[in-house]
Amino acid sequence: MQNQPTVLIMLRLFTFLFLLVSTTVFFSQGSPYSTNLVDPKLKENANAIVRDEIRSISIEAVDKMRINYRKVVTILNEKGDRYAFAGDYYSDNIKIRHQSLFIYDKNGAEIKKIRAKQFNDRSAISSGTLYSDTRVSYAEFTPREYPYTIVYESEVETNSTIFLPDWNPVRGFYVSVEKSTYKVLNPASLEYRLQERNLENLELEKEQSLNALTYTLSNFPAYRSEPLSPLLEEFSPQLQVALNEFSLVGVKGSGATWKDFGKWQYDNLLAGRDRLPATTINKISQLTANAKDDVEKARIIYDYVQQNSRYISVQLGIGGWEPIPAAEVDQVKYGDCKGLTNYTKALLDSQNITSYYAVVYSGEEKKDIDPEFVSIQGNHVILNLPQDDGKDIWLECTSQTIPFNYIGDFTDDRHVLLVKPEGGEIVKTKTYTPEENVQESNCHINLGEDGSFEASIIRKSRGIPYGNIYRITSVPEKDQVLFYKKHWGHLKNLNLEKPAFQNDREEHEFTETLKFSGEKYTSKAGSRILLPLNFLKIDTYSISGREGRKLPIKIGRGITEADTFEFSLPDGFELEALPEAVTINSEFGSFYIAPQFLEKDGKNIILVERSYTLNEGTWPAESLGEFRDFMYSIHALSNQKAVLVRSN
Amino acid sequence: MQKFYFLAALMLLGIGAGAQDFRFGKVSPEEVEEEFHPQDNEADAAILYRSQNVYYEYNDHTGFTLVTDIHERIKIYTKEGFDWATKEISYYQNSKDKEKVTSIKAYTYNLKDGKLIDEKLKNNGIFQEEVSDYRLTTKLTMPAVQEGSVIEYKYTLRSPFVTSIDDTPLQSTIPINRLEVKISIPEYLVFRKYPNTKSPLIIPVDESSKPFVHMSGSRSGGRLEFNQNVYEVNTNNVPALKNEDYVDYLHNYAAFLKWELTYTKFPNSMIENYSHDWEGVAKSIFSDGGFQKEVSRDGFFKKDLDKLLEGVNPQMERAELVFNFLRNKVKWNGYYGFTAESGGKTAFNKGEGNVGDINLLLTAMLKYAGLKVNPVVVSTRSNGIPIYPTRKGFNYVIAAIESGNGMILLDATDPHAAMGELPARARNWQGRIIREDGTSAWVNLNPQLQSQERSVLSYELGEDMVLRGKSVNLHNGLFARNYRENFGGLTEQSLIVNIEKGKGNIILSEVKQENLKAIGTDVKETYGFELSQGVDVIQDKIYLKPFIFKGLSENPFKAEERKYPIFFDFPMLKNTTVNILIPEGFEVEAMPESIITRINDGEGEFKFLVSQNGRFLRLESEFDIKKIIFLPDQYNILKEFYAQMVEKQTEAIVLKKTI
Repeated sequence: MQNQPTVLIMLRLFTFLFLLVSTTVFFSQGSPYSTNLVDPKLKENANAIVRDEIRSISIEAVDKMRINYRKVVTILNEKGDRYAFAGDYYSDNIKIRHQSLFIYDKNGAEIKKIRAKQFNDRSAISSGTLYSDTRVSYAEFTPREYPYTIVYESEVETNSTIFLPDWNPVRGFYVSVEKSTYKVLNPASLEYRLQERNLENLELEKEQSLNALTYTLSNFPAYRSEPLSPLLEEFSPQLQVALNEFSLVGVKGSGATWKDFGKWQYDNLLAGRDRLPATTINKISQLTANAKDDVEKARIIYDYVQQNSRYISVQLGIGGWEPIPAAEVDQVKYGDCKGLTNYTKALLDSQNITSYYAVVYSGEEKKDIDPEFVSIQGNHVILNLPQDDGKDIWLECTSQTIPFNYIGDFTDDRHVLLVKPEGGEIVKTKTYTPEENVQESNCHINLGEDGSFEASIIRKSRGIPYGNIYRITSVPEKDQVLFYKKHWGHLKNLNLEKPAFQNDREEHEFTETLKFSGEKYTSKAGSRILLPLNFLKIDTYSISGREGRKLPIKIGRGITEADTFEFSLPDGFELEALPEAVTINSEFGSFYIAPQFLEKDGKNIILVERSYTLNEGTWPAESLGEFRDFMYSIHALSNQKAVLVRSN
Repeated sequence: MQKFYFLAALMLLGIGAGAQDFRFGKVSPEEVEEEFHPQDNEADAAILYRSQNVYYEYNDHTGFTLVTDIHERIKIYTKEGFDWATKEISYYQNSKDKEKVTSIKAYTYNLKDGKLIDEKLKNNGIFQEEVSDYRLTTKLTMPAVQEGSVIEYKYTLRSPFVTSIDDTPLQSTIPINRLEVKISIPEYLVFRKYPNTKSPLIIPVDESSKPFVHMSGSRSGGRLEFNQNVYEVNTNNVPALKNEDYVDYLHNYAAFLKWELTYTKFPNSMIENYSHDWEGVAKSIFSDGGFQKEVSRDGFFKKDLDKLLEGVNPQMERAELVFNFLRNKVKWNGYYGFTAESGGKTAFNKGEGNVGDINLLLTAMLKYAGLKVNPVVVSTRSNGIPIYPTRKGFNYVIAAIESGNGMILLDATDPHAAMGELPARARNWQGRIIREDGTSAWVNLNPQLQSQERSVLSYELGEDMVLRGKSVNLHNGLFARNYRENFGGLTEQSLIVNIEKGKGNIILSEVKQENLKAIGTDVKETYGFELSQGVDVIQDKIYLKPFIFKGLSENPFKAEERKYPIFFDFPMLKNTTVNILIPEGFEVEAMPESIITRINDGEGEFKFLVSQNGRFLRLESEFDIKKIIFLPDQYNILKEFYAQMVEKQTEAIVLKKTI
């Protein structure tokens, strides 16, 4: 399945300047960098050990913040090298005041020092972005032997107090923490709020007062990565801090509730950027004149945007948070997610259709805008159209091909912030349930005596599977054919006719009609023929059954696969044995397979009905055995075979 | 292949581009109306016209400037073609001088109610990025682009680096309808042009000469007159370059011209030779490239090597000691280059260096140890293939020991390779050995020795239908190198997880790795296993695919046809022997048959041998490929060869109850 570029939804993020601004201060005496000093427990499952990390954030004014950072990290092997990264990002609004890197060998003896002047400077425009002013200043070092220890120090200043760096002491799987400290110095006693995550049951040192805050985590062992586990950030210790009054690249603001915060965003980032030329408004009015209701109008407008724009990411304007004005998008016909969403909203406004700019964390892994903690969050913007029945319409404005009101696994089922003129509001996007995420096929297979076959398949995909397949229409036929050959690699010597596709963009249903022939599907065993009932394979998970799993099992999205295989037996053969119908039900999902023999128009037919549902959910680590049983039972049951013999 | 040549030639000669007007701004409504490309109807975009004019300008104060005018007209057919509406121009700077992009002019053309509308690119669509200290990028993104749009832009790139002319592209990943290239070079600078011979396209280049006159602006100045050598390409309908699986590097098959400065001959100056044959290139690399200095300095490592080599006499043992000593001492910092960046001495003291630092130092050390050793300059895959005498064609260096038994290639930047083995990055066609005496010669970099992987899978089928047994895997040569890279240094836990991957319902035990550290020897990996659901039981019969997780289950070659050669990493032999003990009370009803297949006179061979002795079954499968490059016309043979292997390795043994 590696060759599936066609099917990826190519939506793009915009880079909010979430630069983990770093820096430093305190220095300890002596040479504490010897690796021998580390508690052996911290070396278990570890590629790197955070020996001592201090991030000290001084809020000198609402629009002035200095961050001193110092980290001492021992790298145990090659896989830990990435935690030796020594650098900071900067831009017009983030200045690096100091940087240095020292390297020590396993005995704690210094082997190299790199001063600020020797740091490398590069632009840090992420792939997919055409332009931003972000740059990175970093030091390079080639390790000669392991373990080694780095000490990186930096000091950074910024005028954006809206992004107080979070505290994420555990930086990855296979990284342990000897000590990590997070400090906020707040001499002006600005009001702040904080949110602890996954800190329950941890021994922490905490100090908190009106004008200072210190958290320290010590002796925290490394997490081991396990398949199907939740994201690290869902269970690792974190702390977030935000100010009630803040500044974003010098623009001051306030907001301790989502309502106020959203109001500030609206007034400062959106208001007044929705003006459109009269000609465009006239054109939209004409296009929508005969539409029967607002939904149909919105559909026409969305289609207009898709036909008249493309996605280009240029991150300028209030730290990359301000959309380019609708009039400019109207003229150049491109924009990033903010620009295109704001433009679509402006077009809807022109027809008096209400819509809201919705800030979201995008990505296949669902991540919420935290309803409980007000701060600047999100990395993407979509559009919300409130509906009376509560089933809001959601528009992804950066894609030219995705259907109206289809957001797929990019922004589904998560909390987002609606930026309304009257203030912010947290709501949840659409959830795709296993009942909606359906892929169903209907296959007719004519079997030859020599193992060859001719098949015709009609397969329909809805919900999340729709989003994974519909883009195949836009690749060359040669690559479409290659896609199916790889997708169904278990079918040998496939020969496909030109695939036919039907994309129902209104119902979000994609239909593939395929005809192909192949060889060696059945196998001979003496005078008998073995017929695998598993014409199209089910994607089951095969995960290690090792003991000692620690992390929960998480299935992010449920799915239903329903297939019907109608095998016409070769002439002169009849059925000798057929597996029995079986149904399995478990908390993880369900499965049934029901093979039956019948005669139709004088042909001997084996009809197999099969259905598989995997539920969405999170189960404790102890469920591993049951989960494996469920998966392997399905695997075994769907792999059953029928036996055919020559008729007398 | 031949057919393709013929077709391509036909297309080039054949259909003209029609009566289009390619002057800037003369876009026609018909071009915007066109819905798909007439020759390549699945193309997302096409270059309707590309003109590249390269020439030298003379100025009384600054002398020559190398100027490149680009004019391109691009048609966008589909949304997938929108990427072509963004153009990135990449150019160069150093601490003294920089190239500049000027005179950018660009428009997008659309039809509105049957009328052609143009939209100008403004400054808000032009971005300058300083990527690094050496690289600058100017990015243009066109306004008002939609399906059907035609975009047109032109710009000028001015370069003070007059002795270096960039490669001239003659093909793109989208079709080019009309291509006009003109390169005019003053007689003072003598360049040689080289087409890419790996491209199946043959695009003719016309050569002529033309006078150039420069009148000095100042009163005292006179008149400068010289001849120019002019190279021109005027062609139609260049097909798109399209990717295929298992290609070494797609760009190696694109049509382009390379330009090599051979010598300069300015008025009142001596001829200055750059390079004009391989001997010359070798000499210039040896003397100016710092090779001479690097491979002769030994003072700083003398003491260490004397100690290391004391009492060791056999040459190859001495070489191996030095090779391993250096690899422990100096680590590769990830940078290429055939010259030493910081120098062997600094690298030795700092413990890190680029490719040049390390492998020239290796050469110096081996020389000191008494071996006949010289550097070999190499071009990595992404740097293309050195096909003509040029220093620029190389970007990497290794060392070669010449002994009675031939040449042994060494690369001390790779911690896992043994003497005689190279990492994949350095295995690109051929390199050039540069000897101290000034001679040079081609060296084949493709691995000559066959690497082997031998596995023995011994298991018993229990009455509970679980397979229990042991797997022993022996990795030799480059298989061992790759194994060390992928499976070395893992914790037991992640090693187990890695091995278990893709093997079904399996539980491993007693996983052991031997010789992991002893580079140059075979790596041995053993583990016990218990595999559930490894057999099918149907009506009292057992169906067992004997190769369980060791067989190839799918043919990797799926495409119908092939345009470019197929590459294997190295010559290889994979042998898997399976020993099975079947449960008591069962006997064999059917076994796969033995076969032997050969292709191309034994360049590939597949052996499948089966035998039985009571309850003991033995199957052996051997895949043997002696060559690493197969031409496109051998694709179907190779595909069929693999199909046969897949079939045998997935065939089941049938067991039935004894009566």
